[in-house]
Amino acid sequence: MRAALKEALSRGWVRMVALVCAATVGARIAGAVLSSEIHFSATLAEPGKFSRLEVALLLIGAGISIALFFRRFGPILCIIFRSKKDKDFSLHPIGRRMWDFFWEVLCQGKVIRQRPLPGLAHAFVFWGFLAFALVSLNHLANPFGLAFLRPASYVGNFYFLFAAIWALLVAVSITVLFVRRFLARPIWLGEKLSYESGVIAFLIFLLMVSYLGAFFVGDGGAAVKALWWMHTLTLLVFLPLIPHTKHLHLVLSPLTVFLKRDGFSKIPPLSSDEDFGLIAGKDVTQLISLQVYSCVECGRCTEHCPASNTGKVLNPKEIVLGVQSYLNQSGPASDAPLLTEALVESRDNPPARYMSMEAAFECTTCGSCEYQCPVGIQHLPIIIGLRRGATNTGAWEDTHGTKLFLALEKQGNALGLSAMERDKFIQKQGFPIFDGTQEYCLWLGCMGGYDPKGREIVADFARVMRYLGTSFGVLKKEKCTGDPARRLGNDLVFQTMAESGLKAFEAAKVQKIVSICPHCVRTISNDWREYGIAPEIEHHSEFMARHKDRLPQQNSGESIVYHDPCYLGRYRDVYEEPREIVARAGELVEAPRSHERSFCCGAGGGLAFLGEETGERVSHVRAAELVATGAKIVGTACPFCNTMFRDALSSMGDAPPQLLDIAQLTARALPTMQKTGER
Amino acid sequence: MKILVAIKQVPERDAQIGITASGRWIDESDLNYTINEPDAYALEEALQLKEKNGGEVVVMCAGPERVGSTLREALAKGADRAIHIEANDLGERDTLGVAQVLAEIAKDEAPDLILTGLQSDDLGLGQTGVVLAELLGIPHATLIMHVEKTATGLRVKRELEDGWFQYVEMPLPALLTIQSGGNKLRYATLMGIKKAKTKETKTLQAAAAVSPSIALERVYLPEKQKETEMLTGTPAEVAAKLVEKLKFEVRVL
Amino acid sequence: MSGVLVVMEQRGGAWNRMSFEALAAGQQLAAKLGIECSAAVIGESVKTLVTELAGKKLAKVFAVQHGLLKDYTSDGYVVALESLLKQTGPVYVVLPHTYQVRDFAPALATRFRQSLISDVIAMHDGPVFVRQLLQGKLNADYKQADAGPCFVSVQAGTFRAEDVEEGAATVENFTPQLEASQIRSKPGQLFREVAHTVDLSAASVIVSVGRGIGEQENIGIVEELAAALGAELAASRPICDNGWLPMERQVGSSGQTVAPKLYLAVGISGAIQHLVGMKGSKTVIAINKDEHAPIFEVADYGVVGDLFEVVPSLTKALLAAKG
Repeated sequence: MRAALKEALSRGWVRMVALVCAATVGARIAGAVLSSEIHFSATLAEPGKFSRLEVALLLIGAGISIALFFRRFGPILCIIFRSKKDKDFSLHPIGRRMWDFFWEVLCQGKVIRQRPLPGLAHAFVFWGFLAFALVSLNHLANPFGLAFLRPASYVGNFYFLFAAIWALLVAVSITVLFVRRFLARPIWLGEKLSYESGVIAFLIFLLMVSYLGAFFVGDGGAAVKALWWMHTLTLLVFLPLIPHTKHLHLVLSPLTVFLKRDGFSKIPPLSSDEDFGLIAGKDVTQLISLQVYSCVECGRCTEHCPASNTGKVLNPKEIVLGVQSYLNQSGPASDAPLLTEALVESRDNPPARYMSMEAAFECTTCGSCEYQCPVGIQHLPIIIGLRRGATNTGAWEDTHGTKLFLALEKQGNALGLSAMERDKFIQKQGFPIFDGTQEYCLWLGCMGGYDPKGREIVADFARVMRYLGTSFGVLKKEKCTGDPARRLGNDLVFQTMAESGLKAFEAAKVQKIVSICPHCVRTISNDWREYGIAPEIEHHSEFMARHKDRLPQQNSGESIVYHDPCYLGRYRDVYEEPREIVARAGELVEAPRSHERSFCCGAGGGLAFLGEETGERVSHVRAAELVATGAKIVGTACPFCNTMFRDALSSMGDAPPQLLDIAQLTARALPTMQKTGER
Repeated sequence: MKILVAIKQVPERDAQIGITASGRWIDESDLNYTINEPDAYALEEALQLKEKNGGEVVVMCAGPERVGSTLREALAKGADRAIHIEANDLGERDTLGVAQVLAEIAKDEAPDLILTGLQSDDLGLGQTGVVLAELLGIPHATLIMHVEKTATGLRVKRELEDGWFQYVEMPLPALLTIQSGGNKLRYATLMGIKKAKTKETKTLQAAAAVSPSIALERVYLPEKQKETEMLTGTPAEVAAKLVEKLKFEVRVL
Repeated sequence: MSGVLVVMEQRGGAWNRMSFEALAAGQQLAAKLGIECSAAVIGESVKTLVTELAGKKLAKVFAVQHGLLKDYTSDGYVVALESLLKQTGPVYVVLPHTYQVRDFAPALATRFRQSLISDVIAMHDGPVFVRQLLQGKLNADYKQADAGPCFVSVQAGTFRAEDVEEGAATVENFTPQLEASQIRSKPGQLFREVAHTVDLSAASVIVSVGRGIGEQENIGIVEELAAALGAELAASRPICDNGWLPMERQVGSSGQTVAPKLYLAVGISGAIQHLVGMKGSKTVIAINKDEHAPIFEVADYGVVGDLFEVVPSLTKALLAAKG
């Protein structure tokens, strides 16, 4: 019976129905209350005089409660303050921080937008808490005769009614959330039931009910006093529970959101000659400490993680909690390693499974985790920091990883091919060499320069540029931007590639760069900043969108499902430009998970160059989703996505959809031209 | 165990090669240099032996100033000390001459074991190690895939033609030339590079060259000896043409 | 003697076939210079082998025999050959470029203050010895610069064993002075890591697959082609390193050296390490999508195309032709 119920509740629609039912029941009760025989007065009853004993009890109780609160909160604050300072932290730009605070904390923007129904419920609870601020203050001031809100006064009465509406909303919302957690049991909240959440939910419910109850009893009686004490005791029990549970986020998360690193997936520079990344507790910085203690365990990060969704060990939530648990156990000055080297299954130490090198190296750096987090946790600097600690010290021994680093070192490209292959390609295509007279430097990248399909995309984009009459040239010699090394935590190789690239651009006097690869764009525009400023670079979708009116409008009517690349969408906020291009080529179709929710193709984080995946293949999962839209063509804007889907689509049935980059979609409608130098 | 690794710096594998006007050597002006690949495997073997048995790994390299970068790379990978034998005329010396330069240093260092790569990616003579062993009067073995320290010396696995292998027992001191592919190479890490800055690099001058026994007269691009007949067309057409050739020209059908 | 001395190689009473290529080279060098050519065989008891050589066009055949020379050791061979060379005084010493020669010849040359000119691919008038540099990108001409003796080792496939001239030679026994203490290494038994079931060197038609095949699953199409041709399947090193085909099917400098009637290279770029193993083939056909692939330098017939289309078409055509 229970299993059947559990099975039924695992279905999304069943859960929705259950929530709506709960909400309706709640409203019904409220309605019954409002129109029932229970005498409802429109004013809040005030408790009468408080005896000295009562005041004393209150003071003692409050004292104990506050002491217990600080007993746990103090050490946590201590850990955060004693953590290593973030060398690159700056409060500026303050405007951005204030906006994020306003939108994400006060408006609960992310909370609601990314998980609407539960998000709204939580928002009500949060706003309710804010609305209750004055009420709580007033409530505790009462015994001392310092109450400042009088139900008799116009302002007081209005405020109490206003707060009552919120109390109702909070009570209903917390009930809904309780039902969700304990009956619907979404897997993202974790497999173990969190009894502490149940207790907190109950306490919140009690707070609201004990407040609302005061509308139904008379002034100064035993009933109102009982309600007063019920409310107060609930508060006093709640307070010390806060630092012991994930409800610490009540205190910390507004700060965490405000103090977030400025930038998405912002990897801090190594702070000194002895800094190699996150190896042990002493490498954990204040921001990271603050963030891991703010975790609400909502599991939004894990819900959208491509690794977690395909049976890998990596679980972003568990990484955050793992660091938290490490700090609790070993502290911020410890030398004990954060990661275990192998997958050590241990009953006594469940985090070991998640805090393993294997898990850390399953991350595609897609950024969904960081993007989704409602309390401002930035997962990517943590995961990449852990990788840095392993790679910069040589602790990470992986055949493919080593091969990649050696290839980047020796051949200057991630594929380990001779640079002459790129020369041959340039010659064959008749690409002009950049000499300072052309407007753009066309950056080929490793995929564009060496991969057969990447080359097709570059060739087609070159055709588009020629058609538009834009002058461009390619660099005589190109090395990899170092993106895979950067994401895998190899700062030595990354620095070499970045410095070499910056020098090459400077020597060739490049002013504007355009590239077909979002990884190159991101790395050059953003990650290279650690070593210098690169010329401005844009993605070919941005370029083509600017000229879209000059590109032919194809009336093929073909349905094209567009896949948002992680490094173009979440990383660069470019969603509409590629869609404009797709719309010129056919009918745009959206995948179920699109825009900022786009599901990774699996190539990022250097994983395209590592060995075979365990579990389901991320690319196959996404490809199946794209195919299921029924579109005739899968449109991509990244050569890595293209290569991953090529593999996946070819294993899907006899007539898989065509796979075309937006450059190919555009070029196919261009008149065939004479290419200079082409045989 | 004190291990001396002799490494060579060679032009990168896919460098564009141009010949000087005199035709006697290649144009070195635009070249990038790197560690000779078999020597990288020799270094890896030395580092693994040190990790297992303790001791010291010393790298030595003869050549002009530019070989310094390769020595630093070796230090970054884990070698303890580096010796740079400055010599700008290695091209004028024959194998014996080069080995004599190395032998001077090896005599001073008196290591337990000398490792070097099987052959170099540029000249590919594959002899320097053996000659060095002969000059020092120590036993040697070539094409080694695996090295193990024993109570009496070493036990090494030697690769032979046609899939055959052989174990050889040798006393120390000895010299081994290492075959590529025996171990997994390690990548240079940031930590290694930072540590390398504190490690010692000694620079010594090479003794004057003696007249060589063999001389490299000139280098040139290989002439193609065969006339290749290219078959074109659709796959079906090409297949038909091939079958015809196999029937009538090659006569295997 | 002051002629050419060719050092032959044997193991357990069986010839290393490359020795005869070296013998042909020695004979041709001697003929060019108008001097004598002799040969030497080293071992414990090499009577049968020496008798075979006595039927070739040579001045002398030296049987260098000693109990301590039963198994190959560098020390043993170097000491033995040093004394032979001191006694016979050849101007040129020619050896086949085998793994064994690479192990002892440089040490032997050092004893005479010489440097070995190794892995020679041609001999021109002079004599000028041609070697390859930079992984086959360049050729280089080497010459002897002093009085010698000049030590030369010859690359596989450069000379043809069939070109060895018949004749008659006198056999001379030579017993070198050797003490057990001079032999410092103890060689163990030879062994193979995997069971050897294929002898590529005996196959007359070989179909060889390289990196162009992409994935292990795709090798099937090449297997079908090999079956249609009645050929043995071989591969370049990366394929064997990946474990897609057993090591014993590897052709190249670290695998087998083959000289079949037909060598069909599918998706092989033609890196020098591979070419060395198959350039002695009578006919080479190459299929590769890159027209600049070095394999075409040694191919008699070349197809620039996608092997995934050409190979199945060829298999189909072959099966049709066979009827």
